[in-house]
Amino acid sequence: MARTVPTTGQKLNFLLILVISILILYFDLSSNNFQNIKNGFKSFKISSYFVLKEITVEPLKSLQNRYKTKSSLIKENEILREKLKLSDLNNFITSKDNIFSKNEEILEDLDKYNFFYDIAKLRSINPNMFKCCDKHRMQIEVIAKDKTDNIEKFVFNKMGIIGQIIYQNKYSEVLLLTDISHSLPIKSESDNFFCNARGSGREGFIICKYNPLVWSEEIIKNQIFYTSGMGGIYPKDIEVGHVTNIEAVNSNEKSLLIKLNASPLDSNIFGVLKN
Amino acid sequence: MSFIKRLLFLSVINFIDQTMSNFLSEFFIIIPLTFLSYCFYVYRSDKNISALEAFLLGLFFDLISSSYFGLNTIFFCLVAYYLNSNANSFKLFSYLQVCIFFGLSASAYVGFTQLVLNLYNFSYLTLFLSSIVNIIFCFIIAFIAAYFPKSINMKL
Repeated sequence: MARTVPTTGQKLNFLLILVISILILYFDLSSNNFQNIKNGFKSFKISSYFVLKEITVEPLKSLQNRYKTKSSLIKENEILREKLKLSDLNNFITSKDNIFSKNEEILEDLDKYNFFYDIAKLRSINPNMFKCCDKHRMQIEVIAKDKTDNIEKFVFNKMGIIGQIIYQNKYSEVLLLTDISHSLPIKSESDNFFCNARGSGREGFIICKYNPLVWSEEIIKNQIFYTSGMGGIYPKDIEVGHVTNIEAVNSNEKSLLIKLNASPLDSNIFGVLKN
Repeated sequence: MSFIKRLLFLSVINFIDQTMSNFLSEFFIIIPLTFLSYCFYVYRSDKNISALEAFLLGLFFDLISSSYFGLNTIFFCLVAYYLNSNANSFKLFSYLQVCIFFGLSASAYVGFTQLVLNLYNFSYLTLFLSSIVNIIFCFIIAFIAAYFPKSINMKL
């Protein structure tokens, strides 16, 4: 059957809707007004996923486990796995050359010390957006007895720093270091070079642009960079990554490409520093 | 197909799309499966798709794909308008021409979305490879439809 060609009225409708769409896109790009809707939908999606899993897959799993003689072993295995992940986080806190390990009180009384971070579980990360696009975010669920304000708290995994929390609801949204809107104050080991490294929009890399006339220290490939502690969000002296490429943009600007130590895809357990 | 069914269908296709693109991004390829499915739906529809329906479907797709609101809406409206206007002309075209048209539309979509979502790392390699793969993908779909007309009733 032949389709009729759109009438003038229908054409005007399309034009009107197109203009509205362009305006919506412009507003969304230039402001954060739709963020609440998006976060609400994400929370709904994640909750629905877990509720559905809870009422469909989990009963089947538990039924299967009930008939297995090794069910207790499975449970024990799961507990051990969780403990191993937590131990990895503790290792990061104590083994790296950062502010935590410099605090002798922690190291001397390691068993009794109550670590000042909350555990968080990964709830959602869009690997497509993470691998393709400029906007790198993930959703985590902070598991804490008391409900505290976690906004601007920094998030880490067993390999290092991941990002900071920028939005908190049932789930918290983490702005990853590689997001182009993220800025991380870093420094060299000698404390003679400071820079604000921006997210590159590429998986695992941040970019630090600086003026070589101002910062005279010579930066070489594979040089390790640390957090400078400026900005008040990330503690000082935590290893961030190493330089993989140095590009002289012009006589007044150089660009360092820094490969990050940690990737959010490495683990699904994170730590959120309390203070 | 009712509107709710269309939304559900779009959600399922979007899920497949996201699963697939996770793998394909390693090879600098983007196949906008949801967009192509929508194009196909508009193309195959007996009636003209209204501007409001294109707008709502686009907005819903923006929401589920975590992209900026309005991004897919613009493309859905443009495609709906173009296909509505030229629905009868398309019947005169060969499979080859239709496949090339859809493949290039998908490439334009990839280019535009990359400009908005990934401006700092815009890659011509991705655009070029995606164009070729999208055209080939449309050919494959056309071949499947042509060779298995009874089992898969979606002849281009």
